[in-house]
Amino acid sequence: MTADPLISSERPLEEVQAALRGWFEITVGAGAEVERTYYDTFDGLLYDAGLVLSIQGGVRTLTTRDGSLPASGVTAESVAGVRALLPVARVRLTTQILNVLDERDKTVCRIVLEAPVGLRGRARLVGMRGYDRERDRIKELLVASGCYALADMPLVDDAVIAGGGKPEGTRSKVDVKIASNELADAAAAAVLSRLIEVMDANLPGTLADTDTEFLHDYRVAIRRTRAVMRELRGVFPATQIARLRAEFKWLQEVTGPTRDLDVYLLEFERLREVAPPGMRPDLDPLLAVLREWHASARERMESDLASERARALRLDWGRLVSQLTGLAQEGRSDAARPISEVTGERIWRLHRRMVKMGRAIKPNSHPGEYHELRKKGKELRYMLELFATPLYDADVVKPLIKALKGLQDVLGVHQDRDVQAVMLKRLGEQVAQQPGGTAALMAMGALLERIEKEADAARGQFASSFAEFASDAQRKLVAETFKRSAP
Amino acid sequence: MARTNRDTKVLATYNIKGGVGKTSAAVNLAYLAARDGHSTLLWDLDPQAASTFLFRVRPKVKGGGRGLLRKRSRTAEHIKATDHELLELLPADFSYRHLDLALDQFKKPAARLRKVLEPLLKDYDYIFLDCPPSISLVSESVFEAADALLVPVIPATLSSRAYEQLDELSRRGRVGKMGGTEIFSFFSMAEVLRPLHLQVMERLRGVEHFKVLGAAIPVADEVELMGEQRNPVAVFAPESSAAVAYEALWKEIEARLRPGILAPVQTAPVEAPAG
Repeated sequence: MTADPLISSERPLEEVQAALRGWFEITVGAGAEVERTYYDTFDGLLYDAGLVLSIQGGVRTLTTRDGSLPASGVTAESVAGVRALLPVARVRLTTQILNVLDERDKTVCRIVLEAPVGLRGRARLVGMRGYDRERDRIKELLVASGCYALADMPLVDDAVIAGGGKPEGTRSKVDVKIASNELADAAAAAVLSRLIEVMDANLPGTLADTDTEFLHDYRVAIRRTRAVMRELRGVFPATQIARLRAEFKWLQEVTGPTRDLDVYLLEFERLREVAPPGMRPDLDPLLAVLREWHASARERMESDLASERARALRLDWGRLVSQLTGLAQEGRSDAARPISEVTGERIWRLHRRMVKMGRAIKPNSHPGEYHELRKKGKELRYMLELFATPLYDADVVKPLIKALKGLQDVLGVHQDRDVQAVMLKRLGEQVAQQPGGTAALMAMGALLERIEKEADAARGQFASSFAEFASDAQRKLVAETFKRSAP
Repeated sequence: MARTNRDTKVLATYNIKGGVGKTSAAVNLAYLAARDGHSTLLWDLDPQAASTFLFRVRPKVKGGGRGLLRKRSRTAEHIKATDHELLELLPADFSYRHLDLALDQFKKPAARLRKVLEPLLKDYDYIFLDCPPSISLVSESVFEAADALLVPVIPATLSSRAYEQLDELSRRGRVGKMGGTEIFSFFSMAEVLRPLHLQVMERLRGVEHFKVLGAAIPVADEVELMGEQRNPVAVFAPESSAAVAYEALWKEIEARLRPGILAPVQTAPVEAPAG
């Protein structure tokens, strides 16, 4: 079954009849007044996948954007993953079915006229099996009659746009166009304003716990903001920036425990698989404690995010960013330099710094050293993504990001396992007090052993992924591309 | 929405004699199956194309019966939607009158129809075969393909003799699937006010192995009107005695085919609602 949305005019029934006269007869079928709600994730994952999900009268329908059935096995949930499906538009519409009959009075196609309140009317052709030729002919006749045109977008897009939304959803991507000769403070302000937008967009969903990605995207935006504040500190007035950096550090810290526990809970079933099979059910008390911790962490975070301190930070920061380019140059040594010069130097220095830190790391180094390297790596990654991608040769930037990503993945696994191990140890006492606590502790012990093994394995992989990132060729390329104005 | 492991039932309306209400039964029962939410196909095997006519479809299959048997094209390509949801039709074609000859060219003619139907099983809960009256290679092939034969019997001596012939056939073990095909007979065009009809019905119902179903389809104007209305009785005269009788007959057939399943399975048209 396929359906082509066509935009119909004021008097669709008469016009359909006129267009098909002499070829097909029309009978008027059932009509209804319905309310339809469209769903998508906050970031438009269904839109990206070319899908439309709606619920009408309790019946849920998933179609492709042109109205056909999706490929078998595709569900809205499988596309959405951890993201929640949220209502994105609600439309009231009257529908009217027209049956198109051939000379035997056989229905060969149905036309569903949809008149959504306040939006463009539509006519959908619903073909019938074995009558494709007739459906194509009907479409031709309707289009030729001049009253109909192929729709440029499905009804859901019309409805979302009418409601002030964007059909593709709200993205957390920072895609700011920067010219290489743009002044550093202007470029920084452009990127930072976009990051403020991302934080603002993700805060309500974070507070409402709509899904775990809101908090994640919110925190990534904070981290990116902090990276820019740190690396481009020469574009800000020194007195203000020190205080604001401390405030953003606070914001990052108060949102950390909830995110860690989000990850723990999301990964719990996978983690359970890590335990020996016989002990897996014994871990249930751990899950109960994790949920408890998660709830109280979330409660604390929500009150911090709603606090006067957080509100003041948002206001002060917004004001500084919007006024940045108009501030006096004094004390802002980098403000009037070209952005490519400033960021190039920072990127080169960051890379050099990471090479130095990485070389100092030995297999028996403290986990904290790996962690510090990973944090630097994130800073470099953000600088590359925010500033190098629009400014520098993709042939250099892309492979560098790839090598960095390889290194960060290894460090990430190490870090996650380390955090999990530390948390398991901290959870022990409380889990022991739960019913089934002793068995749970034994299972946690077995789990811990395996987690630590995985952390060791990640350490084992560190040398080779670091070698790629810090190779002579890579360092040379980074210096040639980014160093330029560095002393 | 293809379901895996469907327990598809193939039902054939059959009688050696013509004019006993075969097509009416096929069309009405297939309609009821679809109405209950079962994905249903009716294959009109009769070159006279009465079922095809009742569903307003052109009696034409590209490549004819021979093409279908040889599986030159996918059988599914010839299927047409009817005006009724979930009910589809594989139309009749004039060439079906030579289906016997076409079947005879295969090594195992009796198994052929089953082979042609096989790829369709995953798409339907019920497949009805509306068979031409005769005893031939076509009917043998139908017996082989069907899980059950639905045999309309007019409660008058002449046509009940026809039934006895069929019964004879079944007892000789020549009815399909090595004798595993069920035979359900039911009274058709019954006139409950005629003593002769009542006598015959009573006599045949008394025969244990005849498996005569309880519901009887009466002689009724509505059944005749189907030709004019070109619709199943339940569509244009849902309160009529004939419609009620077909309904009862279908319930009984389903209960026999799927013992233990009382309520019909609704196949959801879309994904299940989210929690």
